[in-house]
Amino acid sequence: MFGRMLRGALTRQKGKLLMVAFAMALGVSLATAMLNVMMDVGDKVNQELRTYGANLTVVPRGASLVNELYDLEDERAEAGASIPQKYLAEDDLPKMKMIFWAFNIVDFAPFLEMRATSAGRAVTLVGTWFDKHLDLPTGESVDTGMKRLKSWWDIGGEWARDDGRDAMIGKNLADRLGLKVGDVFPADRQNLTVKAIFESGGPEDDQAFVPLHLVQELSNRPGAVERVDVSALTTPENDLARRAAQDPNSLSRREWDTWYCTAYISAIAYQIEEVVADSRAKPVLQVAESEGAILRKTQLLMLLLTVLSLACAALAISNLVTAGVMERSAEIGLLKAIGATGAAVSLLILTEIVLTSLAGGAVGYFVGLGFAQIIGWTVFGSAIATKGLVIPLVAILVLIVTLLGSLPAIRMLLSLRPTEVLHGR
Amino acid sequence: MTKRQMYMKMLLSSLLRRRSRMTVALLAIAIGATVLLGMTTICYDIPRQMGREFRSYGANMVFVAAGGETMLSLSDVDRAAALLPRESLVGVTPYRYKTVRSNMQPYTLVGTRFEQVRKTSPWWKVSGAWPTTGTEILIGSDVAEFARLSPGRTIAISGTNAKGARFSREMTILGVVRTGGVEDDFLFMDLTALEELAGDAGRVELAEVSVAMNAAGLSALSALIQREVPTIAPRLVKRVTQSETSVLSRLQALVYLVTLVVLVLTMICVATTMMTVVMERRKEIGLKKALGAENRSIVAEFLGEGVCLGLGGGLLGVAFGWLFAQTISVNVFGRAISFNIYLVPATLAASIIVTGAACLIPIRSATEVEPALVLRGE
Repeated sequence: MFGRMLRGALTRQKGKLLMVAFAMALGVSLATAMLNVMMDVGDKVNQELRTYGANLTVVPRGASLVNELYDLEDERAEAGASIPQKYLAEDDLPKMKMIFWAFNIVDFAPFLEMRATSAGRAVTLVGTWFDKHLDLPTGESVDTGMKRLKSWWDIGGEWARDDGRDAMIGKNLADRLGLKVGDVFPADRQNLTVKAIFESGGPEDDQAFVPLHLVQELSNRPGAVERVDVSALTTPENDLARRAAQDPNSLSRREWDTWYCTAYISAIAYQIEEVVADSRAKPVLQVAESEGAILRKTQLLMLLLTVLSLACAALAISNLVTAGVMERSAEIGLLKAIGATGAAVSLLILTEIVLTSLAGGAVGYFVGLGFAQIIGWTVFGSAIATKGLVIPLVAILVLIVTLLGSLPAIRMLLSLRPTEVLHGR
Repeated sequence: MTKRQMYMKMLLSSLLRRRSRMTVALLAIAIGATVLLGMTTICYDIPRQMGREFRSYGANMVFVAAGGETMLSLSDVDRAAALLPRESLVGVTPYRYKTVRSNMQPYTLVGTRFEQVRKTSPWWKVSGAWPTTGTEILIGSDVAEFARLSPGRTIAISGTNAKGARFSREMTILGVVRTGGVEDDFLFMDLTALEELAGDAGRVELAEVSVAMNAAGLSALSALIQREVPTIAPRLVKRVTQSETSVLSRLQALVYLVTLVVLVLTMICVATTMMTVVMERRKEIGLKKALGAENRSIVAEFLGEGVCLGLGGGLLGVAFGWLFAQTISVNVFGRAISFNIYLVPATLAASIIVTGAACLIPIRSATEVEPALVLRGE
């Protein structure tokens, strides 16, 4: 009998139940879209922040202090080579793409500087990889280099090739030497072709960038690299990461495992040091710290927006459910008049509403996935990852909202006097 | 009793007698208005708030000397800094470099103003304390490691001043700074004390400027400074300005879209609530028509109710919406929200229009019914 009444109500009260289902679908689509976007916003913003460039530099362990100022360099020369220069091996670099967090290492580029003379003037040549293709022993292949690492550079011309005799000249240096794209740029014994003039807004504007092998040949330092800039996707630091950054050995075995298997910048730096011989990987705090701060703010903002708008949606929907149930007072009156108990009536109404809500919620879930993808593509130009965790969250939300919405209505229906309702008062 | 008085009386009693139903409707409208006001306020304020957060990336403009000079004068820096809008200026930090020796090792000693460094370079990690007097010094972490120095010890530095005479001074190490950048290799001390040692004052190599402003605003400022203070060449730190612009615009677009979705959904909710409120009263409409009411006066009454509800809900929404925006702003950014007063009338108008329109849709079909049929309950 219960089943029959339920079926009857579901088929005959189509209009009213449809409205409850519609309201629920709206709410659930909002919840699904917001939750999915919220959970993915960290990854998405992290990707965007990668335009800030390298957040790790790898230098030789115990290297002499790098000096930015040239007069210092001269003084050291006269003080005698008291500190021998140390280098990293170029052959070690592909190993960075084989560490535990290899997938999080987005790009890297090696650098080797030398002083050269060009038409009687001193210039700084920086050897690097522009768009280097690497075949890893694991069978994978990677393209990496300056082209991706320095995405904010304004390039007039085209990127240099790694195997050619090309050069990219900084804007200030080009002004000083009077060079244009396509000109010949003489540097020591070599004649290079100017492929591009670039503007970076930093000290690079006074330098000339050439393929790494050229600098190695010219300065007779085969296979040597002074510094590697690495751009990695990282998790914002917490207490554990800060302690580990001080001294990884101070952690307990379990903490150490957690730290090692989380993409903290200190963990990635540690793993790079493990594979590149005699290296020291230093997080660039300007980038790493600020990234963490901005990431946390963005996530918190989205979390609060999600929670508050979900609360609003829940209130609005329970409002609608209340309205939907209250409309059926005449029917309830009749049921009570022919002897239905309060419990039976409540059970019937609740089952109806929950079934309808679940159906509406299922539709809403898929509509919400659509919303999330629309947001993902319009804002970030890529798909939002669908998280399975959203489904139970949304299901709980549906149940709470439905019960919350129907309880006051049911209480009111139970207090109805059959005769009054049927009489139409 | 005039017609107007009668209208007011009907409106009032209709709102007061059906208290529970009207509360539900009012609540729905208030929620809609809350979301509308709260979300648009946040949307509007995000570039300002996040822009401040982005200043943790440090300077977005650097002053260097124009025309091939290596040094620029501090008074020019001050003149240029005065051209920057006060409320968005985070800090101006001058840097002066000087080569010194300690134990025959050459080091780069940097003179700066520490209280400004803490504003423009908030990522500096100092273990120990920041120097406050002229005989205290901050050393880079690589220097500390290389020379085995730690806070509390002293370091003797020597060099030649502008007149070619030698100077030397015993400095107390107050802290070790770690940044992961070139700062790890430098020594830092107060600018005035360094000028005293070097024997000439008022000139620095560069000044870092941090201004909470977007790339377009910075370019305009840079042009202004170039015109007003021709000895200074302002350079934008491209990697900071460019990525800030890209991330901020994405974030704003995201919040706009989310606001739009939430708004559409709440509007639909408000509209459906109002529709059910009207549809319930078909019997009342029938009775009024049987008593001789014109369709026009029935529409006017329901519209009046809608406007009252919209206004009431809108007012509640303005209050709660402001609270909503303030809560988010304080929790996320730790700052009060800047409230745009024009949003208040806009929110009120929007809630009145949505509620009124939602009343009008079902009323059309309701006024078309035959009074006799409705009253019989068919």
